Formats: sequence, structure tokens, C-alpha cells
Amino acid sequence: MTNNLNTLNTEQSTFSEDTSNEIIQVNNLVKHYNGIKAVKGISFSVKRGEIFGFLGPNGAGKTTTINMLCTLTPPTSGDAYINGYNILKQPEEVRRSIGLVFQENTLDNHLTAEENLFLHASLYNVETKDFIKRKIEMFKLFELWERRKDFVNTFSGGMKRRLELARALIPQPKILFLDEPTVGLDPQTRKKIWEYLFNIRKKKNVTIFLTTQYLNEAESCDRVAIIDHGEIIALDTPENLKKMIGGDIITIITNDNEKAEFEVKNKFPHINLKRIGKEIKIEVNNGNRFLPLLIKTLTPQVLSVELRQPTLEDVFLKLTGRQIREENKEDNNFLNFINFLNIFNENDQEN
Amino acid sequence: MTKKINLPNFNFKNILIGIYIIWYREILIYVRNREKFFTSIFLPLLLTLIFGTGLKNIFPMTNLPYDFSEFFFSGILGASIATLAITSTMSIVWDREFGFLKEILVSPISRSSIALGKILGATTTALIEGLLLLLVAPSLNLHLSFISYLMSAIIIFLISFGMASLGLIIASNIKKTESFNIIIQVLIAPLVFLSGAFFPVNNGPFWILKLSHYNPLTYGINALRWMILSQKIPTNIISNFTTNNLYVSLLICIVFDMIISLIAIYRFKQIR
Repeated sequence: MTNNLNTLNTEQSTFSEDTSNEIIQVNNLVKHYNGIKAVKGISFSVKRGEIFGFLGPNGAGKTTTINMLCTLTPPTSGDAYINGYNILKQPEEVRRSIGLVFQENTLDNHLTAEENLFLHASLYNVETKDFIKRKIEMFKLFELWERRKDFVNTFSGGMKRRLELARALIPQPKILFLDEPTVGLDPQTRKKIWEYLFNIRKKKNVTIFLTTQYLNEAESCDRVAIIDHGEIIALDTPENLKKMIGGDIITIITNDNEKAEFEVKNKFPHINLKRIGKEIKIEVNNGNRFLPLLIKTLTPQVLSVELRQPTLEDVFLKLTGRQIREENKEDNNFLNFINFLNIFNENDQEN
Repeated sequence: MTKKINLPNFNFKNILIGIYIIWYREILIYVRNREKFFTSIFLPLLLTLIFGTGLKNIFPMTNLPYDFSEFFFSGILGASIATLAITSTMSIVWDREFGFLKEILVSPISRSSIALGKILGATTTALIEGLLLLLVAPSLNLHLSFISYLMSAIIIFLISFGMASLGLIIASNIKKTESFNIIIQVLIAPLVFLSGAFFPVNNGPFWILKLSHYNPLTYGINALRWMILSQKIPTNIISNFTTNNLYVSLLICIVFDMIISLIAIYRFKQIR
């Protein structure tokens, strides 16, 4: 493989591996499934060495995008470059540049941890000498050394995830694609997985592209793209995204929210106010000074008050008018339909 | 410029390595699964030794110029390796259900290598079973020379290869293990019964003979019979229960294998 790359003539050199700052470049990528527009033309780029997060509710097109970038699903139109290779024209080179961890477990349960790594190394043409070295390093890094001779079906969910990360890193990929890496794991294990991710970014110098529907995880990314209904609606660092809100968030609960809303709108016509469920949410610049004024204005009895910094949840709400979590329930049917069409998307989260 | 890049990378060594890795995993899992290993050998043995001899004793076919258990043995051998070869491709459906297929599909190994590795894996498991069953032949007074043992092995390989390819085509189209099992059962029954494995199709009604001509397994079992029985039973009697002679059967077998494996590879490449 490497020999072939070296002998590429000059006219092809535009397609070979480059060392520019943008390791992923996506140009107007579109995917339709039997008339359903899963991804509606997205463009973005990911810088070398960053942790790039794709945040969105279920069915927003996150997995479809990853599948297209990893050459698993051909796009309806548009193209993308991974590590300088075109996903349509050089799928094999793309696959050699990336490591992939899917939403569902893709380990071979019939084999031991070590055999799983060995099989992966052989599939990616890793030399035996290198494999032995990297295998030891990976088992140590992900704290699986003691369990290396055990069958995978005896592993817990978190251990399987760690083994999958270890496996994906064996061929030393330039980019690690993680589709919902922490879904189905308990909060402690989730935190631990993130420690591993930061660790491998530092030690292995890989770019990490991940999708998530957990907002606190998105905040740990260097940059975040918020995707909804197949479109990127915002892309920036978590800090800058939160600046879009401009100031603080006040949430109040009163015994007559309708009246309270009317009163606030009357008194402060320029204020950004929304009613969500039982709460009223207000975005203001100087929350600590505004709060006393607000309370004085309201005639209904105030049951609870909260003043806080904006989160990505607020950003999502501002941009879509919906909460990311509520979306899960609503979109379940849509999600299942997409899964039905895409055989690989079948959620097998218990494994 | 782009045309050049679109050319598939025909690196023969890479293809062979890919086939080997997939094949290696299939065999590793087959050997590890002791229950499957032993039942796959025990069941045909049971059929041959008990059912075959039992039938012979219940129906004293004095008018038959050959020993029924000899006829039955070669048939059951062909039928059981064909069945094992087809059902072994279930590992693909299984891999898909448990997610591992994705891991293979996204790897840089070419799809053709994966398909061939899977076919050869299933073929090998059937071949192991076939070779072990052939060792029983002497107990039925069928003494094979080394050459005919080797030739029978080759025929077993040809039958299994074709049947495994057929299984792969079905497995590529099916997503659930249960549906695969049902479809395979529906497919195997006519395949085996219309192949002359259990009764000579020549003596049956015309439509059975006609149908068996379209059954690829018929020719595999023909060839196997010629190879195993020709040392003991005269040629004119063997032609009584085979549809074609050895060479025609072998030729049809090889042509079928080539065509069906190409279809299987083509079909496997379309998996998404």
C-alpha cells in the first residue's frame, strides 16, 4: 500500500495525503434515503489535533454524516476530504487514515480481547512487531492488561467501549471517529471514557471527531457543530456558542405563569422570554441586577428562582425552539424509520 | 486524472491476506464451538450407521444389485456437507446482528476478499466434516484407495464451495438469524431431496427427474457416487442411480461453482 502511494505520479499528488491544517473538509454533503432528507447539505472543516463535537438530537443526521465520512454510505451529492483523500475517489486511503468506533458494539464476542486486537491489526495490515508493541501500550493505556486473555462476552459495557477505543487506535489512525462513544454507559464510566479521550489526544496526537447528544460532553470539545434536521445551525467553540445567548439565564416558576409572562413582556418589552413546561426562561445581560426588579414586577406568587450561566442546552433551545432531550421522545419514530432503512443503524445499546 | 484513481487496486497479495484473515477467524470460531463441531459430525454418522442399516433390514431389497447402505452413505455424505456449507454462512447474518460485520466492512480489506474468505471458511468446515465421514467408509465395506479418497475430498470441496456461495447470496440479503434459518430450511429440503441423495431419481416420476436436472447438488452427488462406489459396483449399475457420468457431473459442478461464487461476490459487494 505504502509503496503504491510513493509511486503516485505528480498529477495525482493533489489527491494524496497532505499536512495542511484542515484534516477534515466537508463540502455541501447531502444524503437522501428514499425521499427522506437525512442530511441537507452540510459544510465544515476540522483542524488537525482538535476534538470536534457533533451535537444534535437523535435522528438529526449525525450517524449518517459519520457513515458518509467513513465511506460506509455514499453521499447523494457533495464531497469530503479526509486527511487529504477524497471519500468518493480514494475510499481505501480514507479507511487507512481513520479509526472508527460505532454507536453499537462491534467487537467479536467469540474471541478474547487480545484476539480482537490481533484481528483488527491484520485487517489493517499492521506488522507483527509493531502490533505487539502497540498492543501492550494500548492494554496498559486503557487498563485492560489483566483482562487481555478473557473472552469479550465477559466484559462490562464500559470495558467493551475501552477495548473498542484500543482496537481503533492499533493501526495508528490520524483521525478517530466516535459515534456516540458514551451512549448507554453510566455517568462514572462516561467521565472515565473522556479522561481516556483527552489522554490519547495528548499522547497519540490524533484528531477526534465525535457525535453526542449529551450537552456536558459537547462542552468538553474544542469546537462544536450543532446539527438539527440534517443541517448545521451553529458551529463554534462552546464558549463562543454560549456568548450567543448574551448574559445570564433566569428561570422562574410562579403559580400563574401566563400572567407572569404577560407582565414581564409588558414591563420589559425587549427582553428575551420563553415558556418551557412549568418554567419561564429569561435571557438578560446582568442577571444579578435584573433579578430583584423582576421579582418586584411580578404579582403572581414566585415559587422558585434560578440564576445561572448559559449552557449549550440554552443555545440549542434558542436556535431550534426545542430542548434537545424532549426531542428524543418525539423523534423516536423517525429514528426507527431511518434505522429500518439503514441496516447498520440498528441500535443494540445493551451489548 | 480521476479515472486512474478509480481503477481498483489489484494487489494480489493484499487480496490473499484478506481472504486468509477472514478464513482464519471462521475456522477459529468453528473449532471453538465444540457443540456445533461434534453435532455436525455425529448427526450424519447417526443417519448413516443407524438409519441406513435400519432401512436396509426393514426393506430386504433383494432385487437391488447394490447394497442400500453403500448407496445411502454416499448420498448422506453429499447431503450433509452441502447442508453444513450452506448453514455455515449464517455467521454473516450473525456478525451483522452483533455488529462485527461493520468492523470488517469498514476495514481496508476488499469486499471480494471478505466474501471469498467467508465462502472458503464455510467450505473448510464442510470439508473437515466430509473427510471425517469418509473415514467411516471402510466400516460399510467401502475401501477407498488413497487416490479416490483424495479425489472424493476434491469433489466434497467443489460441492461445499458452490453451496457456501449459495448460502452467502442468501446471507447477504437477510438481516435476522431467524429468517435465515427458515429460508435455509425451505431451500435445503428440495435441494437435498431432488438431488438423488436419499433415493435414486432415475426410478422416480418423470417430473422429479426433470427437476433434479436443474438442481446443482445432483451433479455433486453424482460425482461423489462415481468416485466412492466405482471400485465396488460395476459402471452400468452406478449409471442406474446417477443422472450423468463422472466427467459431465464434475464439469457442471465446476461451472456452477464459478458462476455462483461470482454472483455471491457481486451480491456481497452491495451490502451497505
